[in-house]
Amino acid sequence: MMSEERHRLHPITAVIELVKTLKEAILPLIVIVVANGLGREKTGNFWLDNISIFIFGLFIVFTAVAGLIKWKRFVYWFEDGELRIEHGLFVKKKRYIPFERIQSLDYTEGIFHRPFGLVKVKVETAGGSGKDQAEAELTAVTRAEADRVSLEIAEAKRLKRMPADGGVATAGTEERVAMPELPAEEETARTVFRMGNRDIVFLSAISGRIGLIFSGMAVLLSQFSDILPYELIFDELAAFVKFGVFLVALVVLAVMLVGWVISVVWTFLSFYGFQVAFDGDDLFISRGLLEKKRMTVPLKRIQAVRVSENPFQKMFGYRSVKVHSAGGGEEAGAVISLFPLVKQERVHELLGELFPELELGAELARTPDRSRPYFYRIDFVWMIPVIGLASWFLFPYGLLTLLLVPAAILLGMWQHRSAGWAISGRQLTVRWRGFALQTVYVFRRRIQSLQVRQTVFQKRKDVATVNASFKSGTGASVAPMRHIDRSDAERIMAWYDPQHRKGREAIPVNGGAAHE
Amino acid sequence: MRREPANRISRKGLTVWRIHGVFYTLMVLVPAIAASVLAYIFEGPVWIYIVSAAVPILLGYLLIGLFPKIRWRRWRYEVRETEIELQHGLFIVKRTLVPMVRVQHVDTSQGPILRKYGLAGITVSTAATTHEIPALQMEEADDLRGRISALARVAEDDV
Repeated sequence: MMSEERHRLHPITAVIELVKTLKEAILPLIVIVVANGLGREKTGNFWLDNISIFIFGLFIVFTAVAGLIKWKRFVYWFEDGELRIEHGLFVKKKRYIPFERIQSLDYTEGIFHRPFGLVKVKVETAGGSGKDQAEAELTAVTRAEADRVSLEIAEAKRLKRMPADGGVATAGTEERVAMPELPAEEETARTVFRMGNRDIVFLSAISGRIGLIFSGMAVLLSQFSDILPYELIFDELAAFVKFGVFLVALVVLAVMLVGWVISVVWTFLSFYGFQVAFDGDDLFISRGLLEKKRMTVPLKRIQAVRVSENPFQKMFGYRSVKVHSAGGGEEAGAVISLFPLVKQERVHELLGELFPELELGAELARTPDRSRPYFYRIDFVWMIPVIGLASWFLFPYGLLTLLLVPAAILLGMWQHRSAGWAISGRQLTVRWRGFALQTVYVFRRRIQSLQVRQTVFQKRKDVATVNASFKSGTGASVAPMRHIDRSDAERIMAWYDPQHRKGREAIPVNGGAAHE
Repeated sequence: MRREPANRISRKGLTVWRIHGVFYTLMVLVPAIAASVLAYIFEGPVWIYIVSAAVPILLGYLLIGLFPKIRWRRWRYEVRETEIELQHGLFIVKRTLVPMVRVQHVDTSQGPILRKYGLAGITVSTAATTHEIPALQMEEADDLRGRISALARVAEDDV
C-alpha cells in the first residue's frame, strides 16, 4: 500500500509557475516600463534608453529558470501514513502531512491543465487554530494520479482506523465505522444541484462584482489624471455643467455598461456548469469553463447555513445559499456559495436533502415595536455632521443630503420589520437585514460564545442585543439579534447556558426565562 | 432576571486603569501646555487658554476618575463547572457566555504595569472568539487558568 517511490509533477508546472508570476508582476512592470521608457527624453544611449525592456526580459528569463528548477526539485511520496513533500529553490524544504490530518483534496483545472488532462490538487488540512496548519499544493498532476493520491489517503486512513477502533468496539460497530471510510469519492456522489445556463446568466447579470470592475476602471482612469485638464474643467464648471452634463452622463453610462458586460462574461465563465454533488459525508462543488474547479467541503466542517435574498433576487423569486465552513484554506474555508442562485421554492427541499436535521420552517419571533427607533437612531450620529457640513459648504446643493434622513429611517424600519429569531430544539435561527435579507441556521454546538449587550438607551426600553458567534474560516462570524425584548435575550442565554440546561433535556421556547 | 456573575476583578486593576488614564491625559496635556505657551508668546486669543485648560481637566476627570471606576464596578466574572460568564463594558453592558466545551486554550499575560502590581490577565480562546479577564491577582490568575483548562478537558459535548 505504501509506495515510497518519489513522484514528480508534470513539466507543465514550470510554465504555470511562470505565467502565475508574470500575472502577479504585470502591473508593476507596466508601471515601470511606462514611467521609465516613455516619459523620459532619449539620451541617445541605446542601453540606457531601453533599460526597462532589458529589466523586463531579464525578469522573464530568471523566472522561467527558477520555475524549471522548482519543478525539478519538487518531489512527493507516501511514507509512514504521511504525504511527504520535498521542494525549494535555494533552501530545501520538507513537509510531512499525516493522512488523518488531511480533510479534503480540491481539484482545479486551468487552461494549461486541460490539453494534458491534468489537475491542480490542493491539500486541505484541519488547521483548527491556524497555528499548526499545514497545506500543500500539487500544481499539475494527471487526473489518474490525483485519484490515486486520494485513494491512497482514504485507504491509509481506513487501515489506521481499523485497529484503533477495533480494540474497544465490538465486531459489529467496527464494521460500521470502517464502511464509510472506503474510497467512496465522487463515483458514489449524487448530483443534488445543477445550475442551468439561464440561471448563470441571470446570476452574472445581478451579481455584485460590478463594483469591483468599476473600481478597477476608476483606478485605470486615475492614471490619466495628468493628461486630463482638471483646472480647465474646474474654472469653467458652470459652462461645463450646462453643456457637459449630457456628455458626462453618456460617458459614465458607457463605462458602466462596458464594466457590466465584462463582469457578466467573467462571472458566467467562472460559474459555468456549477453543480453540487453529495456522497453523505462531503459536498463536491464544481464550476468553471476556462478554469474548472472542484472543491470538497466535508459536511462536518460546516458551522452554519445562510440563506440570503437581496431585493433583485426577490423580484425574480430567487435566493442564494451559503455555508460557513471552518478551516484554513481560503477556498474551502469561510463562506462558501452552495447554491449561488436558486428558486425560492426549492431552497427547503434542497437544504432538507443535505441537512435533514435542519429545521427550516420555524416561526420567527418578531422584534418588538418599541425598539423600532433603535434601528435608525444611531445613524444620526454620522448623518447630522455630514448634512451640516454639506449644507454649509455646498449650499444650496448640499441641502440634498437632507434626503438621507428619510432614507435612513425607511431602511431602519425595513430592517426592524424583517428581523426575527427562533429557537427550535438545538437550533437557533436568526434573520436580519443589512440591505439584503439574511437568515442563518446554526446549531447550539456550533455557537462558540453568546453575548448579550445593552446600552443605557436600550435599558430604558428594556431591550437588548444578542450576538451568537460561530466559527467561519479561521475567524468568527456573528448572527445578530438586534434590540429584542430583554426577557427574550435572557431566554436565549438560558437556552445556550450549559448549566441551566443540565438535567433538563428540552426547554420549551416559551418557558422559564428566570435563571434561578 | 439573570443573576450577575459573582466575582470581581482585583481592586488593584482599578489603580492600573487609572495609571493608563494618567498616561492618556498627559498625552493631551503636553500639546495643551505647548498651545498655551505659544498663545502667551504670540499674544493669542483668550479662548486658547480656556480650551487648553478645560480639555485636559475634563479628560483627566473622565479617564482617571469616572471611566475606570464604572468599568471596574461593572466588571464581573464567574467560572462555573460548565461555563464561563463575563460582564463588562462602559457604555454598553456586555454579558458573555462561554461554555467549557468550547474552550480551546487559556493564556495568562502580564504587562509591565500589571506586573508591578502583581496582577495578570487571563485570555480564554474558543475556536472562533477570544475573551479576556483583564486584572486578577497573579496566584488567582494561575489558579483560574489551571481550573479552566482542567474543566475544559472534562466538559462533555451535548451535541
